[in-house]
Amino acid sequence: MMKAMDPHIEFLYQHISEWIPAGTVNFSHFTFMHPWDIGLVSLAIVKHQAEKGDGNIVLPENTDLRAYLKRMHLGSLLHELGCTSAADLLGAIQLTEHTTMNIQEILHCRYIDEFSARLGHFEKMFRNFGLDEEDAKRAVVIVGELGNNVFDHNLGNWPTNFSGSIIAAQNYPRLKRIEMIIADAGVGFMGSLRGAFPDLKSDVEAIKKGLSGHSGWIGVRRGNGLQTVQRWTIDNFHGALTIHSGNGLVQVDEHGIEARETVPILGTLAQFVLQYE
Amino acid sequence: MILELKKFGKILNSRSSGREAVLRVRQIINGEKDTADDIVLDFSEVDVVTPSFADEFIRGLKETYPRKEIKIQGTKDNAVLREVLKIVEEAESANSKKK
Repeated sequence: MMKAMDPHIEFLYQHISEWIPAGTVNFSHFTFMHPWDIGLVSLAIVKHQAEKGDGNIVLPENTDLRAYLKRMHLGSLLHELGCTSAADLLGAIQLTEHTTMNIQEILHCRYIDEFSARLGHFEKMFRNFGLDEEDAKRAVVIVGELGNNVFDHNLGNWPTNFSGSIIAAQNYPRLKRIEMIIADAGVGFMGSLRGAFPDLKSDVEAIKKGLSGHSGWIGVRRGNGLQTVQRWTIDNFHGALTIHSGNGLVQVDEHGIEARETVPILGTLAQFVLQYE
Repeated sequence: MILELKKFGKILNSRSSGREAVLRVRQIINGEKDTADDIVLDFSEVDVVTPSFADEFIRGLKETYPRKEIKIQGTKDNAVLREVLKIVEEAESANSKKK
């Protein structure tokens, strides 16, 4: 049975050409953003800055969303990427910083050691989100494997000067739903797998190959990490794993797999959604 | 020889750390007078181990010490840890059959 993509992702991609037109990244009409949207915008900005470097980023007009993005520390990433005008706009927002237990602010881990050092923090974060001790550990394994893949497959081979993983998460307590993304401006599934599987014809095919446990490493036995991520996300959390890499978009959940071609991105955006009791 | 994995960290992640841990074990075992054949991996007080670390570490030990038996202990209170080690064991077993 063909299944449907997550409705918000479906809507986002229907209108994607409107907010990534030529010459800018313009998400001025956004009124709400999920972690996935933040990851997609972040990768679009990395690509834009690598190609043009003019910092021509148009932030949302909606003031609540701007405040949310400030709270999510988007300004730090914009500063790092050289989008100083947009970063300053967020910086000027008066906001009472208070601890909110339901978000993981945008985190850029440049090196795997930096990422690994955060896993203990993520475990506490998952507990604060409402997962029990065992599920929090399970979620740490999921994020750990996704993060390891970012560094394992891109070390020494980053396409631009922006390396590492961008991480963000949001807990929706009423829905008992956690959305967490790991984005990287790396070589993508195709770039990683092409050497071992030269017959791969599309990004969708490459993502499916990776999800089925095949590794792009030649002469080294690897794989299985992504299969564990999928199985635990679906079986233990009734969740979903969504991957956008190159122009391939694939989502797997307990109803099956949905795949399609869409606009190309630089690198890979991966999201796991966890439903909890 | 009992190796306390907690001394490598409470959260064991990444292939590179797994390889580094194998190198450390070689130093520890080579300098140890205990000549018993078994290597016992004691996971007591380890919080999380990822499949990447476990795969690299355990496979690395088996390749380094093919005649020693690798035993696991200290996982009784950590179901997730047991599951990860089972996944790695099954993958290793499937790979051995392919050879």
